[in-house]
Amino acid sequence: MQLPVLNDAPAHAADKKGGCAASSCGTTDNQMDSLPDSIREKVQNHPCYSEDAHHYFARMHVAVAPACNIQCHYCNRKYDCSNESRPGVVSEVLTPDQAVKKTMAVAATIPQMTVLGIAGPGDPLANPERTFETFRRLSEEAPDIKLCVSTNGLALPDSVEELSKHNIDHVTITINCVDPEIGAKIYPWIFWNNKRIKGVKGAKILIEQQQKGLEMLIAKGILVKVNSVMIPGVNDQHLAEVSKVVKSKGAFLHNVMPLIAEAEHGTFYGVMGQRGPTPDELQDLQDSCSGDMNMMRHCRQCRADAVGLLGEDRGDEFTIDKIEEMDIDYQAAMEKRAVIHQAIQAEMDSKRLEKATKAQQHKEEPKLTTRPVLMAVATSGQGVINVHFGHAKEFLIYEASPDGVRFISHRKADQYCGGDTSCGDGESVLQVTVRALAGCEAVLCSKVGYEPWEMLEAAGIAPNGEHAMEPIEEAVMAVYKEMAAAGKLDSTPEAARASA
Amino acid sequence: MAVKIIESCVNCFACEPVCPSKAIYEAKPHFLVDAKKCTECEGDFPVHQCASICPIEGAILDSLGVAFNPPGSLTGIPPEKMAEAMAELQAH
Ligand code: SF4
Ligand code: SF4
Ligand code: SF4
Repeated sequence: MQLPVLNDAPAHAADKKGGCAASSCGTTDNQMDSLPDSIREKVQNHPCYSEDAHHYFARMHVAVAPACNIQCHYCNRKYDCSNESRPGVVSEVLTPDQAVKKTMAVAATIPQMTVLGIAGPGDPLANPERTFETFRRLSEEAPDIKLCVSTNGLALPDSVEELSKHNIDHVTITINCVDPEIGAKIYPWIFWNNKRIKGVKGAKILIEQQQKGLEMLIAKGILVKVNSVMIPGVNDQHLAEVSKVVKSKGAFLHNVMPLIAEAEHGTFYGVMGQRGPTPDELQDLQDSCSGDMNMMRHCRQCRADAVGLLGEDRGDEFTIDKIEEMDIDYQAAMEKRAVIHQAIQAEMDSKRLEKATKAQQHKEEPKLTTRPVLMAVATSGQGVINVHFGHAKEFLIYEASPDGVRFISHRKADQYCGGDTSCGDGESVLQVTVRALAGCEAVLCSKVGYEPWEMLEAAGIAPNGEHAMEPIEEAVMAVYKEMAAAGKLDSTPEAARASA
Repeated sequence: MAVKIIESCVNCFACEPVCPSKAIYEAKPHFLVDAKKCTECEGDFPVHQCASICPIEGAILDSLGVAFNPPGSLTGIPPEKMAEAMAELQAH
């Protein structure tokens, strides 16, 4: 069968200055503005890369690759690769055959699923047979699914040739440093040429392999995204340099994720009391790097075996037993999928157009001179505000300013706690959630209960349930304008909070 | 002469593909070494491959029953510090 060629972009595509599509001009939230057209086309339906597509399309990961060839200080290998999932999560490891079945079952049931990733629970390229067998079969049997893979980079140079043979259009490399001295504080050892190599020497080899792999992928025309884990006091100052280096080599996105370290994960950083960045520190770094390159801000550090729209998990519907019972006619499913994809595309296009028109109108109005404000939004997709405050597992953080509305990040409502009713230090889930929203001045959801309402107000975060089912950007702008009209934006946020 | 995998193994699969003698197999509750097949990597590699990639301290023992990777040797976490953190967690 003739496979669609996804890797045909010229190697120098990333250097080309792309034109700006009308639909994405005028707002400051679209991070694809500065990408060349060829790349934007590739990522526009990718839920991990495109900010608006992830409201419509879904990705899934399968856990076929359990082994790893290095150790990261933020990882406990009892659990999944921390580079790709949240610490403390264990995925059910599938055989390549089970993984292929599961992928096709999900694709037939959830037509929005367009991307299959292999990201662990260990390093996919440290398990080349399992990973490539899965890719090989899917390229043949389900050619309408895009494939992607994440790696720590150690075995990458040896895998590029094989990767380029499949339906793979992007590779994610976790690169935390380009300096071996810093690397030695992140990676205690690697397994290389049949030996365990510790310290600076090991880190140096890892860094060289990552960079070489990156260059080889770009030379083959395969899209490369770079992930970095921000570790305060270790590599936070260094990541701007990393950003510069990977961009100059042609990576198209750089995604900075916060370190999540808790003693109970049993990781080096957790046990040694290394802290993660605050939301503010993370945003500052993302802002300082985005001058350098396109930053992806909506990564949710999803689980390696997650299924569903970003932030959602329908994995329970697709356990091994259930899949074995399903009988999938993939040809029929593929036809159905194509129709649905077209409809979604049309809806996305019209929404993009609408957004551009709105942004144009906004431009024509007299320009505000007020300061920017962060707002949290509860949504389950489709680009509208549609989740009850108490049900939100995560919030999308937007910044409203006189220039428009831009997406900043995701914050997990339960990031600091296992989701129990109370955390170790006696904080309620609600308190944890309110704390996770620090820095925001309003939270927009479909409804807010009485108890959280009071707590939010006390924390200086205005609860707002008046924009249920409205498009996110419009609602955020409306609230921003109300705040401006009420004179709330003349003072600094601290002062506003003190008087609240 | 053979090495042994004990219960602290977390079933991460890392050792299985690197064994030159195909002596390691997946089992419940944890991976095991077939003592008849294990050559201790003699003739293939100067160091035991399984013990060189295993991320878990204490999970693989040499033929004398001594851990190849004693506490603290891989994670860099001093054993006292680990004990302290665990005691702290128990207290909660
Ligand atoms: S690459 Fe992933 S699995 Fe391997 S040690 Fe690092 S975080 Fe853990
Ligand atoms: S010591 Fe060598 S031969 Fe024996 S189980 Fe380990 S890797 Fe295999
Ligand atoms: S490498 Fe160590 S922890 Fe992993 S399966 Fe082998 S013995 Fe178990």
